[in-house]
Amino acid sequence: MSETTLDQTPQSDAREGVASSDRRKFLRKSVALAASGAAAAAAGNAYAGDVKLETVTEPLKDGPTRNILGRGVVSVPYGMPSKFEKNVVRRNVSWLTADTVASISFTPWQDLNGIITPNGLHFERHHAGAVDVDPETHQLVIHGMVDKPMVFSMEDLKRMPSHTAIHFLECPANGAMEWRGVQMDSMQFTHGMMSCSEWTGVKLTDLMEYVGVDPKSTWLYAEATDGSALQRSIPMEGAKDQFGEPIKASDCELYKDAMIAYAQNGEALRPENGYPIRFLLPGCEANMSIKWLRRIKFVDKPLVTYQETRHYIEPLPDGTIRQFSFLNMANSVINYPCPDNQMKGKGSYEIRGIAWSGQGKIAHVDVSVDGGKNWQEAELVEPVLSKCVTKFKLPFEWNGDEHLIMSRATDETGYVQPTLAQMRKVRGTNSIYHKNSIQAWKIEKTGEVKNVQIENF
Amino acid sequence: MSKLKTSKFGLGLAAGAMALGLSTAGIAAEHASGFNGIGKNITDKAIEPWDISVFYDGENLPKGSGTVEAGQEPYDTQCAMCHGAFGEGAEGYPKMAGDPMPQFITSLKQGLDGVGNRGVNNAWGHAPTLFDMIKRHMPFYAPGTMGVDESYAVTCYVLNLANIVDYEFTCSNETLADVKMPAADYYVTDTRPDTDNQRCMSDCYDYEPKVVGAAVTGVSE
Repeated sequence: MSETTLDQTPQSDAREGVASSDRRKFLRKSVALAASGAAAAAAGNAYAGDVKLETVTEPLKDGPTRNILGRGVVSVPYGMPSKFEKNVVRRNVSWLTADTVASISFTPWQDLNGIITPNGLHFERHHAGAVDVDPETHQLVIHGMVDKPMVFSMEDLKRMPSHTAIHFLECPANGAMEWRGVQMDSMQFTHGMMSCSEWTGVKLTDLMEYVGVDPKSTWLYAEATDGSALQRSIPMEGAKDQFGEPIKASDCELYKDAMIAYAQNGEALRPENGYPIRFLLPGCEANMSIKWLRRIKFVDKPLVTYQETRHYIEPLPDGTIRQFSFLNMANSVINYPCPDNQMKGKGSYEIRGIAWSGQGKIAHVDVSVDGGKNWQEAELVEPVLSKCVTKFKLPFEWNGDEHLIMSRATDETGYVQPTLAQMRKVRGTNSIYHKNSIQAWKIEKTGEVKNVQIENF
Repeated sequence: MSKLKTSKFGLGLAAGAMALGLSTAGIAAEHASGFNGIGKNITDKAIEPWDISVFYDGENLPKGSGTVEAGQEPYDTQCAMCHGAFGEGAEGYPKMAGDPMPQFITSLKQGLDGVGNRGVNNAWGHAPTLFDMIKRHMPFYAPGTMGVDESYAVTCYVLNLANIVDYEFTCSNETLADVKMPAADYYVTDTRPDTDNQRCMSDCYDYEPKVVGAAVTGVSE
């Protein structure tokens, strides 16, 4: 069976405009819900009126796949998405970085419908390019303030008690191009430096138990085996910064969720994500989740590496430079509709989006369709997990008017995602990292959806 | 079991297994922590070639030295194409010398672009970690290939470009920790949360929202 015999047009149009009796029933039901629903009205979200449907009279024809044979099994040994999904890919922004080996790519959340990012769509951030490390020879060394300095092979790590959890990873530069004003016309570029996966590996605390970490050790650092030999310092109980100031207690607990991950969504990590092992520090800026991990050392002070003194720092309008901003705070965004998913006529829609917090579970997501004057609580879609993407949804009736739609996450600590004006007030526009402010999209009367900012909210 | 007393945690895994009474079935032997027989011990001597990280205070700087003068040739041939002959940056790669500290801070306070002006003279706290970065990660196209003395020399040349050390200065494991970096005292460890939004549900404000769209379109490409 040749590939070209399948080279036909999309088959998805069969749904369009078909009014079977089941579908009519369904439509009547949703109209009734929307009409009666105080839900809709509360958010300035009124019933759009009876939208006249088109009627199909042309007899249906078989599609081009009806009378041919498809591909045999293992014709694509590692399966790939439909060719009609070829636009669902990672993208980069060419002007953002000098070259692609020290650069970032973005996850196309506008095309995703779950909380898990497929491995081929996980955002990439390299400092010296992605390397392919041989698992047969790779070793992990753990040393420093420990009873037993030890070295482990991949086989060793896989033999140990395993730990599995679903967590997001987010580059702290997510949203950074929007500090000064609207720049990006796709949500892939406004929020795509974040991905979410199921990770499996060995819990750091289990390994610590095994090698016998000295209780006087207050920091650890992890290091990679790529060209950048990336390294980051991670605080533990009693940690102090280089000035002797204590690191806040909650940040000194973050390591307890850490793992040495070898699997991502059930399969081996991808090289772009640190194959064969990476450090994983849930909730924190992803730069700390060292890929291609080769060494962990337990120490009693931070390194204050390049990454910590020059790169992942936030110059603030009070004239200070903020360091050690580990946590990614609560954030959310509507991915349907959004600039990539425009309105297709009046009537019913479901506003959908994603929310996440480095501090724990998402507790609430509220949605506004009037620029933040009034809000309505969206439904959170299970599972709702700690330091994990949570999906939310809310019915929406579009009557063809302009709307400013936005989402606002609150996490289990009570922290409420800030407005852009609140964030700019304390951070100015030069702090680069950790911009988690509320994102507004404008629905135009034409149905076009644009990235906008509300400067005074 | 004495190691458990010095452990970071109160309860050892082996102790936990015993408490659960699992010790007889061969499912979890008495001393099993899930780690029995796994891995190898390793000596500090064997780890030494990988134990390269330098602390902010100079701890673990390798023995060696290099002058500003000695740094010129390697900088010009291996670094200047990206970072500029005078450290001004090139082709989108980082500057070595940005605005002087007072000007950098003034720019931040006035909301002007301080970001693009980051250099080792305004956004780098400690000279030893500059050496560490150069030794481990530079030159960009052949990372980690510079020798120790050469790395000290390039460090010194960059510090001189950024007006931090004199031309006569020698950078070494003895001197680098005492170099006073201009930005050293400006760092503050994270004090977030720094915003306090409330979960207002209705009539949250009564003014007209000032909506701003993109000044130009198509910048995503």
